[in-house]
Amino acid sequence: MSSTKPVTRSRNNLLIKQLTPYLLIGPAILIVMGILGYGVGWSFMMSLHKLNPLTFQNEFAGLATYMELFTSPQFQNALLRSATLVGGTILLGIIVSLSFALSIYKIQGFKGAVRAISLIPWMVSGIAAAVMFRFLFSGNAGLINIIMESFGLAPVGWLAHPTRAMFVLILTNTWFISPFSTLIILSGLQTIDTEIYDAAAVDGCSGVRTLGQITLPLIKPMFGFSLIWLSFASFNIFDVVLPTTGGGPGRATEVLAVMMYRLAFQGLDYPMASAIVIVLLIINAFMSLFYLKTFKV
Amino acid sequence: MRKAARLVINNLVWIPVIILSAWALTPLIWALSASFKTRIEIYQARTFLPANPSLRAYGEVLSSDGFWNFTYNSTFVSIVSTFLATAIGILAAYAFARYAFRWRHILLILILVPRIIPRVSLVVPLYHMIVSFGLLDTRLALVITYTATAVPFVTWILASFFATVPKSLEDAATIDGASLWQTLFYVMIPVAWPGIAAVLIYCIREAWNEFPFVMAFTTSAESRTLPYQLFLLRETMGIQDWSVVNAFTIITIIPMVIAFLTMQRYVVKGIVSGAIK
Repeated sequence: MSSTKPVTRSRNNLLIKQLTPYLLIGPAILIVMGILGYGVGWSFMMSLHKLNPLTFQNEFAGLATYMELFTSPQFQNALLRSATLVGGTILLGIIVSLSFALSIYKIQGFKGAVRAISLIPWMVSGIAAAVMFRFLFSGNAGLINIIMESFGLAPVGWLAHPTRAMFVLILTNTWFISPFSTLIILSGLQTIDTEIYDAAAVDGCSGVRTLGQITLPLIKPMFGFSLIWLSFASFNIFDVVLPTTGGGPGRATEVLAVMMYRLAFQGLDYPMASAIVIVLLIINAFMSLFYLKTFKV
Repeated sequence: MRKAARLVINNLVWIPVIILSAWALTPLIWALSASFKTRIEIYQARTFLPANPSLRAYGEVLSSDGFWNFTYNSTFVSIVSTFLATAIGILAAYAFARYAFRWRHILLILILVPRIIPRVSLVVPLYHMIVSFGLLDTRLALVITYTATAVPFVTWILASFFATVPKSLEDAATIDGASLWQTLFYVMIPVAWPGIAAVLIYCIREAWNEFPFVMAFTTSAESRTLPYQLFLLRETMGIQDWSVVNAFTIITIIPMVIAFLTMQRYVVKGIVSGAIK
């Protein structure tokens, strides 16, 4: 390399310098686009096909699969169940995480320990959470029925009944995903300047008014992020459903992701499963946009 | 009088704390307790704690067919995919935090927007990809897909941590003749350590607990991981032997809870900062 003229060498150096950021980003772009981008692209292309039940080939069909999907009662019901699950989880999840975060914020001492307790469910896998709740609500060995019996109530077949199974699913899902929402709200509370509370106390502001007119408005963005997290995690729920109810009884808890999985791996109808994937992605994108706009985060 | 009332009111907050802690811990304690009960006790004795605690269920799990293989698979895919995702993410995050270059904005969007792609929506296309590469039922398929799904979040968190490292630190290293790698290893990574710790625990948790991919991409016990085995175990013997199912559940949870408790500080700071930007 001693023969290289200084001019060319500095030009080479410049080139290397200009290329550096691209080389650094290269592996990330490659794996994200190659796997995730490919997945979305493949699903989109596949959703424009239609399964021919005679030849078992997927033929190009434009939007025909979407038309069939939107008019199918199975899809409409699954969408409704997803909406029920999301709505139920948001309602319960916000109550649980807001009260947990506020209590942790208020207590003097044991803050770290209580926060750790509130977050432990978050380290558990969806499968483990579901298996534990299934056991908790099992007919003849579950704690819930044992407690009910000790109050003289008749034991309940929680998972054999459509509405109750959905209720158990919402509870399981809330237990599993609300810790992260607690953490988000707590981090918002901790950024509030405590002087504002002193000022409110001097002005004779009641506890409830302080909460409603000072605390909540101040953590509005965090509230928005919590809602994004709760909706996103419940709308795409899959792990938690299979061990608790498996979509049953019947199809009472078959939400969109579970329906997608059944169509793809049991029905081998990839175009229809892919159309559901695209619908899932679009709804996810709209949910995020909606919350970002509403909470101006 | 007012002071006493105040004291009562200040301590009322412990009521919700106790209720909510019970909510968070009951499923775990009930499973833990059942894992020490005998098979019959689960159905007959309706006590909260086991009468004669027995380690039978744990013994059965630890000596069950393939248990150590599943544990090895889980450990292997978690560690390798965490390492790869963190390494890839560090490089990309450094470029985004420190360089101005053409298409920076578009490339950033291409890496970050996939964060909103839910894992379950990738199962079908990736299944086809994996089959066509002949990787079905391999640990490699899990490592690649776990790495890919973790990179967007890792890049995001680390880019924001790197951006807070004062530029003067780096300039000092460059003046001393440090190369790009040396700057990364001796300046950026140590200073941004809380972010890296958060990312590590995030990735390990994702991989250790992952379910849809392992269910779709493995077909035999060879490359199966613990969550999938737990799911199958519940399906096959949940009714006959809840103690074993519960012992298995507890065993899969413990490593993550320990990891979380030791790294709690980083998790709380790092992951939340990444989630709300």
